[in-house]
Amino acid sequence: MLLANFRYARPDSVEEAVEALAGTPHARVLAGGQTLLNALKLRLVRADLLVDVTRIEALRRITREPDGALVLGAAATYDEVARSPLVLEHHPLTAAMTSRLVDRQVRARGTVGGNVCLADPTSNYPPLLVALGARLRLRGPDGPREIPADEFFVAPYMTTIGDAELLEAVVLPPLHDDDGVAYESLQVGTDSWALARASALIRSNGTVSDARIVLGCGSIPVRQRAAEQALIGGPLTPETLAAAVAAVGEDFDPPTDVHASSAYRTAMAKVMARRAIVAATTKETRHG
Amino acid sequence: MADDVLPITVTVNGERQTKVVPVRQLLVHFLRDTLGKQGTHIGCDSGNCGACTVICDGKAIKSCMQLAVQADECEIETVEGLSEPLGPQSELQASFAKHHALQCGYCTPGMLMSSKALLAEQPEPDEQAVRRGLKGNICRCTGYVNIVRAVQDAAGTLEQG
Repeated sequence: MLLANFRYARPDSVEEAVEALAGTPHARVLAGGQTLLNALKLRLVRADLLVDVTRIEALRRITREPDGALVLGAAATYDEVARSPLVLEHHPLTAAMTSRLVDRQVRARGTVGGNVCLADPTSNYPPLLVALGARLRLRGPDGPREIPADEFFVAPYMTTIGDAELLEAVVLPPLHDDDGVAYESLQVGTDSWALARASALIRSNGTVSDARIVLGCGSIPVRQRAAEQALIGGPLTPETLAAAVAAVGEDFDPPTDVHASSAYRTAMAKVMARRAIVAATTKETRHG
Repeated sequence: MADDVLPITVTVNGERQTKVVPVRQLLVHFLRDTLGKQGTHIGCDSGNCGACTVICDGKAIKSCMQLAVQADECEIETVEGLSEPLGPQSELQASFAKHHALQCGYCTPGMLMSSKALLAEQPEPDEQAVRRGLKGNICRCTGYVNIVRAVQDAAGTLEQG
């Protein structure tokens, strides 16, 4: 027996899940379990109660709202997100990125909500969600609230979610006709973890009217506002691209570890950002 | 604190059964220790190596990364389900044997189950698709070339020569 003792609940509704979380100190949400079970094995996490949310139908659904926003149920697995006809049609980049996460076993079980709530600095979803302007729909004992992905991540493995709060869904706003999205990673191996990531959402009809450029693999996903401003208001030219890339690195402090130094990661983040900007503004490569 | 236990009903290799399990029991221990199906191996016990891969409701999963209670009402297929103990091998198993796709054999049950799930989803994978499809399974003898060939041969996509 490898795990410390705990109790287990498998509620049928979001309300019951929130009630269970609120009623027990050290209660933990169990979704795909692809990180949580390892954390429990290693005694990195204490759980007196595991609240298994994977059988709550409402959390598995992927739907489209009247304004075109896609609502990804937090317990939808990577496989379900990657194969969803709605995601493939309206957010093809998100579908493509998800279809290449980790490996087939993890994609069968891992969930979009689990990924976001873990807030692993090297994860794929957080920087992409911040670039897309995603919102996170939470429900706690005091009712629902929705917060932008920008405000959700506060530190490595730390988010603004409350103890008794449950992430219900990740809401992806609709893409505009002039939007292009791109996502670039420098990976250690195919579909493997990354040393640097950048994602970009750029709205342009020849003139760039909006840009969101986000770096991953730092402590939290971080908007590159100076780089965005360097692009907004004119056409993308070699000069504005160079100015934007030169500005990349704002508030970005990636760690030094066995794979790479902080300086190398920062240099590579600039390369990824350049590629993402170019891909997001090139007809053949942009998604959107 | 006494173990919290729950009854679960699972269908393993076609046999439906109900057992009372401790809620903290991992699926891999349920299969190996409670049901005695030791074909499913424990390699790293941390979700990295894929030796414990089984098929759950049609999808390959790592059974060391699941609780047994999470498999309640699920259909599980383990390596024992591929063929009878002394019966003819499945096509995939025969292809592994033909191509010497195992050395020590420790990763083989997981490789077979991931390959089966891959082929069910993508019946004619090219080499890249097999390599990507088996990314969650590690062979520490590093016999990947023969494993990939075996899967491709079973799928009929192996180029001769």
